[in-house]
Amino acid sequence: MKITLALIKKEILQIIRDPSTILVAFIIPAIMMVIYMYGVNLDTPRVYLGVRIEDTNPELRSFVDSISKSKYMTSYVYTDKDSMYKDISDAKINGAIIIPNDFTEKLEQGGVANLLVITDGAALNSANYVQSYVTSAANTWLSLSKYAHNIKSPIVNTQVRLWYNQSINSHHFILPGSMAITMNLVGLLLTSLVIAREWERGTMESLLGTHITALQLVAGKYVPYFILAMLSCCFSLVLCVQVFGVPFHGSIISTLFVCSLFILCCIGLGLTISTIFKNQFLACQAALGVGFMPAQLLSGLMFPINSMPEFFQTLTMLLPPRYFVTFIESEFLAGTIPKVVFTSAMYLAILSVLLFAVVYKKTYTRLEDKVPKEVKS
Amino acid sequence: MNAVSIKNVTKKFGDIIALDDLSLDFPTGKITGLMGADGAGKTTLLRLIIGLLLPNAGEISTLGYDPTTNKDDIVQVIGYMPQKFGMYEDLSIQENLELYADLRDKPHDFEKVLDMTNLAPFTKRLAGKLSGGMKQKLGLACTLLGNPKLLILDEPSVGVDPISRRELIKLVKDSLTEDTAVIWATSYLDEAHNFDEAVVLDKGKLLFQGKPATLSPTAKGFEEEVVKLMGGFEDEPSKLAEDYEIVAPQSEYTVEADNLCKRYGDFYAVKNNTFRIKRGEIFGLLGPNGAGKSTSFKMMCGLAKPTSGTARIVGIDIQDNPSVARSYLGYMAQKFSLYGDLTIEENMNFFVGIYGLDYFTGRKRIAELKEIFGFDKYANTPTKDLPLGIKQRLSLACAVIHEPPVLFLDEPTSGVDAVGRREFWQHINALAKKGVTVLVTTHFMDEAEYCDHISLFLAGQTIAIGTPDELKASVGADNMEDTFIRIIEKSSIEV
Repeated sequence: MKITLALIKKEILQIIRDPSTILVAFIIPAIMMVIYMYGVNLDTPRVYLGVRIEDTNPELRSFVDSISKSKYMTSYVYTDKDSMYKDISDAKINGAIIIPNDFTEKLEQGGVANLLVITDGAALNSANYVQSYVTSAANTWLSLSKYAHNIKSPIVNTQVRLWYNQSINSHHFILPGSMAITMNLVGLLLTSLVIAREWERGTMESLLGTHITALQLVAGKYVPYFILAMLSCCFSLVLCVQVFGVPFHGSIISTLFVCSLFILCCIGLGLTISTIFKNQFLACQAALGVGFMPAQLLSGLMFPINSMPEFFQTLTMLLPPRYFVTFIESEFLAGTIPKVVFTSAMYLAILSVLLFAVVYKKTYTRLEDKVPKEVKS
Repeated sequence: MNAVSIKNVTKKFGDIIALDDLSLDFPTGKITGLMGADGAGKTTLLRLIIGLLLPNAGEISTLGYDPTTNKDDIVQVIGYMPQKFGMYEDLSIQENLELYADLRDKPHDFEKVLDMTNLAPFTKRLAGKLSGGMKQKLGLACTLLGNPKLLILDEPSVGVDPISRRELIKLVKDSLTEDTAVIWATSYLDEAHNFDEAVVLDKGKLLFQGKPATLSPTAKGFEEEVVKLMGGFEDEPSKLAEDYEIVAPQSEYTVEADNLCKRYGDFYAVKNNTFRIKRGEIFGLLGPNGAGKSTSFKMMCGLAKPTSGTARIVGIDIQDNPSVARSYLGYMAQKFSLYGDLTIEENMNFFVGIYGLDYFTGRKRIAELKEIFGFDKYANTPTKDLPLGIKQRLSLACAVIHEPPVLFLDEPTSGVDAVGRREFWQHINALAKKGVTVLVTTHFMDEAEYCDHISLFLAGQTIAIGTPDELKASVGADNMEDTFIRIIEKSSIEV
């Protein structure tokens, strides 16, 4: 016990003396959160539309008005087709509507009127928005216009209620969810170097020359970095709720409980990398590759897991951030749901125990891991 | 009784045989010096004794325990100091001592060990900020905590100045009792001559074990005998110097330092350093660790900007015209500073490129140097995996690839074995005869004898300057080590 405490004390002193650990633990979460707050936005974006009206019927005035007054669209009326096309090519506008000169005539006759929507297929996402905005704007206008009698009323009327996030503010789930990425990154960066560093600097050989056990060595790494990562996690939570004003409906106790399990996983993964590579540069690269990228892409924060190919869906089961994203989003938006807390906690606990076992197994108290074959036991 | 006994031990790393059916005993109550060329198996042997490595065959008994099965029992009663500085550089002396005391379950009572090592005034200083000698003393202090029965020291005196070296030896000798033992691996043969017992290894085999005096009564003779045992050294003319053609403007004084000063805040790292070196002279900068030798060096080659004063290489001011001045300069840094992931030839190609040699000259030089230094054997090995002696040859090869008229060598032989050092100095002496000016720092006092002039450095100031004989005569000593220590002691009294 005394030995473990001595190792923990040493590690804490090193943490305090090394400004880069403080940078990783507190500055990175702050920067990430600012990026996710102001840089990433999954809300429906505003599109810029060119409008060219070839039909001179004054009825269309109200259609153009409804487009330009929309919350999601800004329109510019063009008289010259070529300059409109040029603005699309120059990406000044996201798309264009051309109302042909027989538009109202067709409607009056009760026929099908064509509306040409041109969008930029190279930016598929905004092209989709242009298409759906214009279609819905046209339908709304039509139902209020004098041609309304021509529309057949739909048989099914969908009523949409957005639970948990009425204002459809994507930051309310991105920011808490991003904590999975941030804490993953912080946990990995903090720990992936610490064992490799001891090998590189030669301090490991001195340590192994004393009667230190693998368990003490591992505990001496887990405890201080767990404390530091928990502090970093609390800091992120406070930023999220107090500074960026994300509503929090869950309970602090269950949040901290699951966070601590998640952090144990991250530390376990970081230390695994560190024991395997024994070289700080490689360990750091591996931490980013093994830990950070999959967390970003496969945690379900950015891309829904159930739209992934089956192989990747299975793969996500091994990723601690996946459980944490599910948990933290539901905790923030829907409040504590015992079943969610229980399942995420269980999976994270299993993963953290497995990772601890790997770290323990990979920590040797000799300079070589295997007894050479010729030795008779 | 024997502290350690080794019977028919073989240790392989892949195909390389590090220890070959080795049998020997280390006696209790004595200091045993462990010697051998690079790659002789010294470090491997020490690691096997503690149980950090496991043997392929054979039996080891360390204080009665088997390191293969009882490593835990062994490490409780021994003190081990690895070759690489194993203390935490971001912890202070006090904190390092506390850590190791806790790890060994010993009380925090450091008065005695701090007193012995003269580290008491510096307990709050971070280990990383200590000079080389102080670092080694701290390492030894941590190792000595808890009075180990067996002390295992792996080249503790590499890069340490003669004064600190004597202190280290005294510390170890004082700690020795009738029932403890010390194993001290070293490449300083004069040092080993003072020990009770000598062991010489070569290629994993035992060449000699016995009292150093049985080989030769004098340190010098002992060195000759050990070098002979290690395969001997042929005194043949240096091929490196034969082909060397200096292309540089002729001037009488090729290296000049003019009132060089380097100040960090209130602290003078170097104060008014002035000297001139004649063409073809070997000029040695000697001094304890932290005296300002490396700082002077860096200012001389334009790597550090002097606070005042200047330096000239072949008459060209290093500050006004650094790139021209440096093109006349070959520099060998204290640490191995080549690209570890490149092969020997790739490293040399790189230097051909940065020194701006044309293609054909470059090819010719590389071919010559490969032959002179026998690099062909290691053609495909990344340089980080080369033996130390080969790395040092490569550093020299890269420093002379453009045939500079001036060579700066900063502790070029640190950690190199006796044979390697002789080969190295053979080249340097021959180059100097050809007209190459050499500025060198070293902690080996026998190497100081090779210098034409020596400047002794202390606390950033030159305290003595002259030929080796003049300096010896000035304090009435018959060898450089005593001269060095006496001059420094005399001057500290004056300070």
